[in-house]
Amino acid sequence: MKLIRLALRNLLRQKRRSILLGSAIAFGILFITLINGFTGSFIENVGENFSNLMAGHIFIDGVEKSSSGKDLYLIDDDSRIMDAIEKSGIEYNFLTKRSEIRGTLLFEGNGINQSIVGADWEKESYFKERIILKEGTFENLSDPHGIIVSSKIAERLNVQLGDHVIVKMQTYTGQQTAGDFTIAAISIDTGLFGSISCYANILYVNELLNIGPDKYLTLGIYLNNLIDTDPVTAKLLPELEKRINLFSRETTDDGNPFMAILEQQEEEEWDGVKYRLTTINDLLSEVEEIVRILNIAGLIIMLVLFAIIMVGITNTFRMVMFERIQEIGTMRAVGMHRSEVRALFLFEAFLLAIGGIISGYILSGITMFIISRVYWGVDTPLFMLLKNGYMTFRLAPLQIILNFVIVTILTLLAAFRPADKAAKLEPALALSTEK
Amino acid sequence: MHNIVNFLHIKKAVILITLLFSLALLPALSSDQYGKILEDIDNLQNFGDNDFTTIYTIVSEKPGEEREVLEVRLFRRDVGDLFLMIIISPEVQKGQGFLQLEDNLWFYDPESRKFEHSSAKENIQNSDAKNNDLMVQTLSEDYTVVSHEEGILGNVPVYILNLEAKNDEVPYPKMKLWVRQTPTLPMKSDEYGYSERLMRSSAYLNYVKVGEKYLPTRILMVDMLNVGEKTQITMTNPSIGPLPDYVFTKAYLEKVNK
Repeated sequence: MKLIRLALRNLLRQKRRSILLGSAIAFGILFITLINGFTGSFIENVGENFSNLMAGHIFIDGVEKSSSGKDLYLIDDDSRIMDAIEKSGIEYNFLTKRSEIRGTLLFEGNGINQSIVGADWEKESYFKERIILKEGTFENLSDPHGIIVSSKIAERLNVQLGDHVIVKMQTYTGQQTAGDFTIAAISIDTGLFGSISCYANILYVNELLNIGPDKYLTLGIYLNNLIDTDPVTAKLLPELEKRINLFSRETTDDGNPFMAILEQQEEEEWDGVKYRLTTINDLLSEVEEIVRILNIAGLIIMLVLFAIIMVGITNTFRMVMFERIQEIGTMRAVGMHRSEVRALFLFEAFLLAIGGIISGYILSGITMFIISRVYWGVDTPLFMLLKNGYMTFRLAPLQIILNFVIVTILTLLAAFRPADKAAKLEPALALSTEK
Repeated sequence: MHNIVNFLHIKKAVILITLLFSLALLPALSSDQYGKILEDIDNLQNFGDNDFTTIYTIVSEKPGEEREVLEVRLFRRDVGDLFLMIIISPEVQKGQGFLQLEDNLWFYDPESRKFEHSSAKENIQNSDAKNNDLMVQTLSEDYTVVSHEEGILGNVPVYILNLEAKNDEVPYPKMKLWVRQTPTLPMKSDEYGYSERLMRSSAYLNYVKVGEKYLPTRILMVDMLNVGEKTQITMTNPSIGPLPDYVFTKAYLEKVNK
């Protein structure tokens, strides 16, 4: 205890120097905490945004082989799927039934390859909360041929509200066809993925695909929470397996179930419809890889930063030792052990680290609070990483503890050599040394 | 006298009925004949036992985009419905290929070294041409003549046939075909989508005789939905020399890329 008080007093004797060293440590902590905080919410935000974009967390679609071996996607009769959902007892927010066209939108010599999602917008009322319109209204979708395009698509096609566009596409079985749409509304472009799809009425989309009005391509299950995805899937799968022919989600090692399903689709032959169950987490596993890389990069940068800070700490403690050489000699002469001298220096380094780390965390908290209050808008390329236009941060307690331990050890290591050197000083030699 | 008059009336009536009956039968017989024209077209372009090799250059133009040129080498053995098409340029797509084995059309990408199912209905890369356009013609198997007439295209007498697909394995469910009367070769076709809208118009500009068969050496395909979008297919170096069996295998497609 005496040593700790002594170490604290020594640090306070050279306030400016201690503050500078502590600030360097605090800066390092601020840097790594911001990265960890950002990546911590990265998965959650990307997952939620993808779920909104794709209208679900769990997706089921039916695949059958054409006579030429090509995969055709269609849910012809969903009664057994609905039964499985009901019997499994899973909780969900809502179900979405969607059909999709991939074709070329044409207007006065301009053409863009685009996906057009067809849904029953009366039933999918939540949709109106997810898409922000720049021009037009959702009521315009009452026109069976109405279509909502993003502002970027509207700009590239040079279309305005009420313009008629043609879509060149294929039917469900791959035959050529064309459809007519009227621009019902223009949505705000939400960055990278915002222009992926246009939105239209499912009845007309089905008519163009040449499938019945009550059929569709994908059933989406929108859950209450992203983190429910895996447990709900585990509950639903056995019930589905009892009722329909389902592709296996089993993978070797830690492979992606979606990739495993694609492989089965390529390799297997089957009669009738075989169903695929995929989840938002199958897609997010690729995003998780990005997060892992970001965290590793953050850790490497932190280690480089602390290598520089360590050099500063080592030099400062060598200087401190030289400044206090006679004091060390006196302490040793009055009976202080070598180990106590070493411990005194290391306590100083420890307290410095603690001060720097706590300051760093406080600074991080303030910075994150300020950044999370900034509204970045919905038309930013960062949109997929944001939560409703705001940047959010999430820190795992284990990550905080790990960074704490790493920085403390590094600071102690940096101070160890000067501390050891001070401990090994001969009292007589130390007392006779002139500064 | 009365009997004679009656007899003449009956005779007139019989002649009239016979004439009407014959007229009613005429279109049915004609349809069969017109159906035969489709068989003739198929036969004139089917090499049967002979293997066929050629190079196609596909030039596609789209408004606001640079002209794209694709060169493919094609191998055909019509007797077994075997078909292999390998892209030889541009460099970035070199080695990609399509192989027809039984009912399956496979696409091979040397980059991923994987075979994927494709379809005769798919476009060849970014062009308006379909895989189906370069494969052996099977009009008589795929289409029925629903109406017909005779006419003149340019100054050439033609049969004008309106066709409807018998199956969904063809890219266009409806087609209007202008066929030269002798020999029976397509000169022009208007291709309609499922929505009955005119999607593509093709002109068969030149033919070349290869052995006893005829093949178009230049086809111009005009996209009827996107003004200014068109594709021209030119055939060069046709030959009917025999090909080894291994050409029509997945292994060959993989090997040719090494």
